[in-house]
Amino acid sequence: MVIWPQAEAARVSEEWPHSLEADTDQTEPLAVVINRMNSVTNLSFDELHRIFLGSRVHWSDGRRITLVMRDPGEPERKTILHDVCGMNENQFKIHFVQGLFTGEILVSPKILSTPAGVRKFIFNVPGAIGYLRLSEVDDSVKVVLIDELSPDDRRYRLRMPLPSVKSE
Amino acid sequence: MCCSALSAQQASAVDKATLQLLLAKIDQLESRVSELEGHRQEACGYNVAALSVAASPVAMKTRSTLALPEPARVADAPSQAAPTTASGTEQTQVDNGMNDRMDLSKTLLRIRGFADISLHGGTQQGDKTSFSLGQLDLFVTSDISDKYSFLGELVFEAGPDNIYGVNVGTANSFDIDIERYLLQYSANDYFNLSVGRGHTAIGYYNTAYHHSTWLQTTTDRPYLFQFEDRGGILPTHTVGAHAYGMLPSGRLGLHYVAEIGNGREAQSPLTQEPVQNDFDDSNHKAYNLALFARPESLRGFQTGFSLYRDMLNPTNMPKVSETIAAAHAIFIRPKFEWLNEVVLDRHVPVGISKVFDTPGFYSQISKQFRAYRPYLRYEYMNAPNNEPIFPAVGLRHGPLAGIRYDANESVAFKFQYDYTFLRNQPGINELTTQVGFTF
Repeated sequence: MVIWPQAEAARVSEEWPHSLEADTDQTEPLAVVINRMNSVTNLSFDELHRIFLGSRVHWSDGRRITLVMRDPGEPERKTILHDVCGMNENQFKIHFVQGLFTGEILVSPKILSTPAGVRKFIFNVPGAIGYLRLSEVDDSVKVVLIDELSPDDRRYRLRMPLPSVKSE
Repeated sequence: MCCSALSAQQASAVDKATLQLLLAKIDQLESRVSELEGHRQEACGYNVAALSVAASPVAMKTRSTLALPEPARVADAPSQAAPTTASGTEQTQVDNGMNDRMDLSKTLLRIRGFADISLHGGTQQGDKTSFSLGQLDLFVTSDISDKYSFLGELVFEAGPDNIYGVNVGTANSFDIDIERYLLQYSANDYFNLSVGRGHTAIGYYNTAYHHSTWLQTTTDRPYLFQFEDRGGILPTHTVGAHAYGMLPSGRLGLHYVAEIGNGREAQSPLTQEPVQNDFDDSNHKAYNLALFARPESLRGFQTGFSLYRDMLNPTNMPKVSETIAAAHAIFIRPKFEWLNEVVLDRHVPVGISKVFDTPGFYSQISKQFRAYRPYLRYEYMNAPNNEPIFPAVGLRHGPLAGIRYDANESVAFKFQYDYTFLRNQPGINELTTQVGFTF
């Protein structure tokens, strides 16, 4: 029932900068956002890992988790794949194919192409969870703490390059 | 003086004309923007202007505090991105998935296909080097509701079945098998229930890999976990009910599976479908209990065991009690895998003191180097000669080595060499080239 992928196409272009945590001036927090009606306020990094890999599929109230991802290639998605899932794009896809195949993962992630789309979807779907650059967050969604840290805390682990210094 | 006054008047007139022109242009552009926004609202069904305000740099700057999870703040948060058709937050927060489910113009089915084609040759008597069409596997899922889903696997496969060493059917013809057919109910992470036909949770391999060779590292399953209609000794499929989920165990990550079903067919001679899809040959039901751990401190590691019990009813023989104990320890990371499993299949004819034990194990290791993944496996299975249920299986063990090349994210090529030792027979050398893909 473990559903790690066999295949990997580890290409240099898919690699992601590793030293983002240390350089907070050049980075922006990536906020994990959920529906405002969701009572969850904090998630551990391990919980986040399980949620984004589909091995945890329900919130504590029994509602099904709907995972929202940005389009492949978007820097926000790369950050989640690298920092939370520990995978590249190809591994993530195969992971979900195999998870769906074993029946362990119930549904594929919802793919949305814009921050506004992410906000709107999460606003409308009570069980949804996704991510946004901190500057793209508004009051229509709720930001969860990660390991009791808010995104504006310097120790917050999910960070990504500012758009102006975005790596190729 | 006159000249300068005249030129000033002329300049003023030009400025006014330019201003009028610019104002007219602005009016045109504004009306065009309004028109485009109107089209976009019709297409998207929500208020673009509201979202534009929410996402604009000015709006971002004014949001000095985040929508952090403070209950009062969350309750008071304005719904700038709310659909304009909504009258209130509660009413607007409907599940989009539910909308999809209620839309009769859409199908709920999602279909993914898997297939493989092989070139195989070996030294076994009667074996001819052949191209072979592997299983064409249509994997179907449907998200019926928030709690219910359907999972099905329809397989088209060529060639005769091989039930415990007995060939059934004709060569080169295609058969269609419904390999999985499950209605799943998912209450929470701790309790899930599925009914129908699925794979038994005996060991690890049978739960992780189903009928797609593309998902597997090697060209085929270990002997031990070969399907019933391909010569396997384990009841890899069952028709019944399966409960599974997590156990509250913190970072230990304990999971359970409890299954009850028809068990396997045990008629003699074994020339019928081994899985009792439609009716059971006895009132006794097979059951299986499995427990495994996925500790968070060691991601990719899983260890566990399972115990399966059934009572078989071969004709012209006493009933046979079947107990299958399995244990596994596996470690899988994206670039590395190490699978180890051991199984003991015990048959005890009722009223006879003799016990027939068939032990088996395999160990498989592979490491990925870019798109290449070399692998090794050693497997062993030893059924007694006078085994009452599968007398033709006997002893077989040996190594295999191969390499898998992932040409892209959907196509994998494999090249594999097997050597198999058999009891009282010459060993078998086999070479297989396979292309497996998903579509």
